[in-house]
Amino acid sequence: MAWDPEKDVIEVIRGPQKAGGAGGLYRAFGETLRGLKTTFGQLRMGVDTIQYPEEKIPVYPRFRGRHQLHRFEDSGLEKCVGCSLCAAACPSDCIRVVAAENTPEHRVSAGERYAAVYEINLSRCIFCGYCEVACPFDAITMGHDFELSDANRSDLIFTKEMLLAEPIERTPLRAEGE
Amino acid sequence: MPRPVEKLVSLTINGNEVQAPAGMMLADAALKYGDVEIPVFCYDAKIGPPVGACRMCLVEIEGIPKMQAGCSVAVTDGMVVHTDTPTVKAAQEAVLEFILINHPLDCPVCDKGGECPLQDNAFGWGGGLSRFIEPKRHFEKPLALSPLIAIDRERCILCYRCVRYSQEVAEDFQLVLEERGADTFVTTFDGHPYVAPFSGNIIELCPVGALTSRPYRFRARPWDIEQAGSVCTLCPAQCNVSFSVRDERVLRVLGRDHEGVDDGWLCDKGRFAYQAIHVDERVTEPMMRDGGELRPVTWELAIESAAKLLSHAGANTGALVGGETTNEEGVLLTHLMRETLGSNDLDSRPGGALDLELLRALNAPKLQASVPDLQYAHAVLVLDCEPVDDAPILDLRLRKGVRHHGVKLLIGSSRPSALDERAAHSARFAPGCGEAFAAALGAELAGQSSASLAEAAGADPADVVALATQLREAGEEVVILWGERLTAGPRRNEGARALLNLADQLGLNDRDGAGLLEIPSGTNSRGLREVGVLPNASIGLGDAATVGRDAEQIGEALAAGDLSAVILLHSDPLLDQPSSALWQRALGKASTVIAHAAFLTPAVLEHANIVFPAESYAEKEGTVVHPDSRVQRLRRSIARQGETRAEWALLAELAARIGNDPKALTCSMVSARIFEQVPFYAGLSLDLIGGVGIRWSEREAAASFPAAPAAPFTLDAPPAAASPNGLLRLGSFRSIWASPEVEASPALAFLHPRQRVEISPGDAARLGIAHGENVTVASNGDSVTGLAHIRAAAPDGTVFLQTSIPKGSAALLEGPLVEVKRS
Ligand code: SF4
Ligand code: SF4
Ligand code: SF4
Ligand code: SF4
Ligand code: FES
Repeated sequence: MAWDPEKDVIEVIRGPQKAGGAGGLYRAFGETLRGLKTTFGQLRMGVDTIQYPEEKIPVYPRFRGRHQLHRFEDSGLEKCVGCSLCAAACPSDCIRVVAAENTPEHRVSAGERYAAVYEINLSRCIFCGYCEVACPFDAITMGHDFELSDANRSDLIFTKEMLLAEPIERTPLRAEGE
Repeated sequence: MPRPVEKLVSLTINGNEVQAPAGMMLADAALKYGDVEIPVFCYDAKIGPPVGACRMCLVEIEGIPKMQAGCSVAVTDGMVVHTDTPTVKAAQEAVLEFILINHPLDCPVCDKGGECPLQDNAFGWGGGLSRFIEPKRHFEKPLALSPLIAIDRERCILCYRCVRYSQEVAEDFQLVLEERGADTFVTTFDGHPYVAPFSGNIIELCPVGALTSRPYRFRARPWDIEQAGSVCTLCPAQCNVSFSVRDERVLRVLGRDHEGVDDGWLCDKGRFAYQAIHVDERVTEPMMRDGGELRPVTWELAIESAAKLLSHAGANTGALVGGETTNEEGVLLTHLMRETLGSNDLDSRPGGALDLELLRALNAPKLQASVPDLQYAHAVLVLDCEPVDDAPILDLRLRKGVRHHGVKLLIGSSRPSALDERAAHSARFAPGCGEAFAAALGAELAGQSSASLAEAAGADPADVVALATQLREAGEEVVILWGERLTAGPRRNEGARALLNLADQLGLNDRDGAGLLEIPSGTNSRGLREVGVLPNASIGLGDAATVGRDAEQIGEALAAGDLSAVILLHSDPLLDQPSSALWQRALGKASTVIAHAAFLTPAVLEHANIVFPAESYAEKEGTVVHPDSRVQRLRRSIARQGETRAEWALLAELAARIGNDPKALTCSMVSARIFEQVPFYAGLSLDLIGGVGIRWSEREAAASFPAAPAAPFTLDAPPAAASPNGLLRLGSFRSIWASPEVEASPALAFLHPRQRVEISPGDAARLGIAHGENVTVASNGDSVTGLAHIRAAAPDGTVFLQTSIPKGSAALLEGPLVEVKRS
């Protein structure tokens, strides 16, 4: 069916047709100047913008950034035993653990089992920290790094090696009392 | 002993009036009828009567001053029970604190974590605190209890379940508890590995992570997996299973308790052979022979070539169908063979075509016993089969019947049976003489002289008399569990008649709780017959328009050049058929051999031109029929591995390319067609079959089963058993472990059988053979070698060899007599 413009009339409401005079001048500049007064009034407050990424806000010690897996300092064994409790606790289901058995020749963790595969899909993680709470061995903790953007979604799946590696500290930590 | 009659009693549980059958244990009754959970550890109704070992189930019963174990008290009328009083609560907390004293609490590394009754009970009923600060007991862990099971003795809560299972259910008497008090631990009596056909069940029974499956260890947590219910098709017992699936891989198999099928147990083949689904040896892409070797090709090429070769061979095509074929595949194959290629030469029975009338009589619904009947009958006669090899799970059922229900177990077989020691009487007869033996029993029951028939069967006449007396005196409900062997070979029809006469003598027709139960040679043999995958029957066991060749005749026709092509649907004639020599010739001569196979078994490897990958049972959909007429449903549990395609679709596609499209768009369409066309399946549907299956012989539609001639039949005199005079009679058997799946499963490979030569101590002494020596068995110039296995129970004058193994199978020899000597 062809469109019938008759049935769809748009009513246009226009401003006063005739400007000019003092009223017109005030309308053009008065209100603008009033706004500018507020703007310039704030000048004495100084600049508060943080020049990210050149400058970063320090985070609190308990800030929940990207995860880290840990090793025992003395033996160098992985703390994670691949129990999957973190995966069970994770509300966004972004941890994948595939466990395997330690052998005397190939000992990875202190327990009977270790995580052969440990992956966190950080594009799904909501940084709730439940995994950290669930872990019976303090093997996984939330780190401070929040700069996680990447050009490729699959690069956001962090593997065990990536999580175990010493993170490059890119985020300053807030000092005590700061 | 017939089924107990259920009498209801009323009792009060936590103030609610509850009705429950008398004699039921309080813990069961409370859960099932009162919706009240009484926590338990050591009790499980399927292991048998309670022992009250753990005291987790304490409850208060009014009128009894002390608390009682809810698992060990049978409900009685007017009983008043409390499970939620402060006293009970305090007792539960104390028991859990006590049990946890020595428990290592290493849940994070324990394989049971997340599905552990100890975790659940501690969470639900425990106090949450322990006062025990002393060191806990320590054991070395984990140890291998067997190549399949790991034991962690620290975690054991000494509930006795595994030991009771071994002593009272599987009756292999291997597991025991050693030492006393806190030092007690589970082990095998002399420390050897716990290897038994049903050992894996203890993994599922153990309420803690003390017993874990080595193949499954640490593969997944309960929240990583999904359970998919289906049916095990590795043997005719068709146990109901549940696959644990993670990332489209089957990681373990658990039982899906079904009282009517498996009673909650699985054999180790069913429990561990799932590994064969994910091995590299499996065929997962179509292959064609090129320059003498099988090479992978594209589906298009394989299908096109197969269609071309088949339409070229036309009516000169034969087909052998193996037991793992579903009804749907069977029907589509008959469509391909009969309606498309115009050939009637197809067979699913290895022993030769049985007279259709007799087949109907043997399968008549009124004459069918069910699996639970084995447990409640007055007497069970095991005739010419070995349950533990042929349908393992029935072995456990028979043991249960004998132990708990006073079933009188009678055995007539040629090879000594694992059940002999539980039997009221066992008789031996010469291999292949089941017919004469059944006839002798029938004659004795009819009050005639059986001596000459017993003689012909190579049996002791006194045994026949004894068995007949026992059968007569046992009571009305008698089940005959018989092996397909009885109706195979040249005298198969006579064997069937003798069996039907015997059933008639015992009055088994139309008697509740009595009847015949066949153990067929293939998983779905019964279903395949009923949908007409036989040379002489059409769908629904109707008369075939034209009678075709049976398996043996197909082999002969191929060898003679009368047939030029053969389809091997899940069948390897060099493993399944009685004569390897015939099939070597036949396949060597055949110009086209098209195989649907999951593994490159000998015939496929040497002779197939085109190999289509077969689906594994976890990938298949369709229906199968249990030997007791229960129609069961297979459901697809994982994605098909590699390039495997649905086989029903492939068979339909082949027919379509040859020019006769069966118009099957989905598998359930084919199922529906089967339910329409088989008169005695009328009204069935996949929904009705559901997860537990349905016995068609119990439905009204069973009335439309084709009429069959009634016993008694006149029998002619059976030929006398060959007399050994210096040589030995050849008997054969198929071991539970003889299957390509077992061979391919890494965990089970240690069980895959090598040929062994079973002889009696008498014969061994005469021939100068020692146990474990290499011996050669020869006949007509063919010979096989194997390790001598001297078996005290073996009858003199007979040697037993295995069939269905790739190397040195008994099928290479021709009986009845063979020569055995040291090699
Ligand atoms: S922080 Fe939360 S969402 Fe992220 S991995 Fe841990 S549990 Fe999952
Ligand atoms: S990180 Fe902790 S909770 Fe997760 S698998 Fe490893 S040990 Fe278990
Ligand atoms: S090993 Fe398991 S089943 Fe056996 S006694 Fe110990 S806890 Fe019970
Ligand atoms: S008895 Fe047969 S059906 Fe049952 S689990 Fe074993 S192989 Fe499977
Ligand atoms: S469950 Fe009753 S004593 Fe163990």
